[in-house]
Amino acid sequence: MTQTSTEPHRLRAGAGRAGGDRTGRRPRRPPGLPWILPALVLSVGLLYYAIGYTGYISTLDWDGVSPDPESVGAGNYTRIVHDPIFWGAVRHTVVFYVVTFVVQTFLGLLFAMLMHSRIRLAMLYKVIVFVPVVLAPAIMAPVFRHMFAPDGEFNGLLSAVGLDSLTQPWIGQTSTALPVIMFITIWEWTGVTFVLYYAAMTQIDPSVLEAARIDGAGPVRLLRSIIWPEMRGTTVALAILGAIGALKTFDVPYLVTIGGPNYATEFLGTYIYRMTIPLNHVGYGAALSVILLVVALVMAVVMNVVGRERKGG
Amino acid sequence: MFETRSRWARIALQALATVLVLPYLFPLIVMVKGAFAGEGWRNFQAVLEVPNFGRFFVNSIVIAVSVIVIVYVVTMLAAFGFAKLSIRFNEVYFWLLLACLTLPEVVLLTPLFATAFKLGFYDTYWAVILPLAALQVPFAVLLTRTFINGLPDELFEAARVDGANSFNGFIYLVIPLTRPIAAAVVIFTLIAAWNDYLMPLVFLQNPDLQTITLVPQFFIGQFNNDQTKILASAVITAIPEVVAYLSLQRLFERGLSAGAIK
Repeated sequence: MTQTSTEPHRLRAGAGRAGGDRTGRRPRRPPGLPWILPALVLSVGLLYYAIGYTGYISTLDWDGVSPDPESVGAGNYTRIVHDPIFWGAVRHTVVFYVVTFVVQTFLGLLFAMLMHSRIRLAMLYKVIVFVPVVLAPAIMAPVFRHMFAPDGEFNGLLSAVGLDSLTQPWIGQTSTALPVIMFITIWEWTGVTFVLYYAAMTQIDPSVLEAARIDGAGPVRLLRSIIWPEMRGTTVALAILGAIGALKTFDVPYLVTIGGPNYATEFLGTYIYRMTIPLNHVGYGAALSVILLVVALVMAVVMNVVGRERKGG
Repeated sequence: MFETRSRWARIALQALATVLVLPYLFPLIVMVKGAFAGEGWRNFQAVLEVPNFGRFFVNSIVIAVSVIVIVYVVTMLAAFGFAKLSIRFNEVYFWLLLACLTLPEVVLLTPLFATAFKLGFYDTYWAVILPLAALQVPFAVLLTRTFINGLPDELFEAARVDGANSFNGFIYLVIPLTRPIAAAVVIFTLIAAWNDYLMPLVFLQNPDLQTITLVPQFFIGQFNNDQTKILASAVITAIPEVVAYLSLQRLFERGLSAGAIK
């Protein structure tokens, strides 16, 4: 693990230095354009082409097959502004992000601290928490559908511990469907949070902790005054990653709840898919895509700037 | 981190850790238990006897390997170019690439669908391989460029003085020295490609081309919603991933956490 831990810091230290080419002292570097061309053609070419195309389609009223779609200008966008399902998806994304991020951060930190505390079977525990990261959500979806079904294992467990009154159709009702989606996501991603915090904690000088302990600091005080501030870089990175992940959410709600019941777990990803493929409102789906894209970009820029400022200050 | 000097503290911490880990274990137990429910091993037998079940694995392997090869080659070339060679408007190109980092794949649906159809890519491996590779490259380049930036310039200048051109520098310096970061790139590309659901769902209609992430849906049709068979198929498709992780634990943990390192 010690080896793992050195990496993030080294990388982050390098990341601040934008472009290795600005020193100006070494003018005689060979030309590099041909070297970056394949990447530019593949990624910038394909993705920007797709974005441009989406932008164009978003101005059409198109079912995806008709040869001459009607242009509606910004019509799709005005409709989106008045679309309650869209605003529902936005609200779900925000709630989903806040809850999953807070819970994952808490659990990840706690696991990392526990695993640094000479626990038996630590290796086994780590594997159990990390295995979900590796498993495809698409493959786990039927398992969760099974588990949260009215006669599934989760209700069985509740009954077994005497909480019969809490058994309910978890994915079949609007009030609990979103929490189930959040549970699955937290289950899936805590491993990453944990591994990163674990690595970051190996950087803390043990003598600092020891000194604080001798001064009478308890675990909560240690966490608040020493560990948490040291983790800031990792937390900011995880916050950005989580926000992007929340905007990209598709597999789990699509496969576990199909965005339902009654749109209770509709996300932007599932809504775009629903509009574009099953409902053939391709123009509307494209307009939703453009909005999603703009939100993702703005958010990434804002969070990067905020994160960098905090790191500097 | 927590003090464990007294015996009670140790027991309490152990208990806390165990209680916290159980919810992570629970779905895995549900999966395995459900797969053995009813007819036991016969469930697995029934799944394995489905003709062409092996195809799903072959297809996933073909797609994952192709994506990895493309991403690796393209990324290494570009990261070296960005980090150590002279490019006018270097930063402009780099930011064009970085802007793609946040791109949700669902945004690509319609244009790729229309284009793939027109060009005859629809329902071929390429319709999945190319967008997946395109989506992985920006992040891979960001990581690798940062890594190569950390290699001393003197190394490359010395090679140049000795008569090596950029290509030699690439082959004899960049490729061997970037191995640690390349491992991370390969792992997160592997998982992204192997676990991807949306692209195969939309672009692969022919069952002979479909990937393992489409297996559960295939079996819902195949076994008339017989849960035990579906869970058995989930166990079988999960096994390669778990085995791969267990045998390369550290690489997987580093590679998949790389997403948070910027």
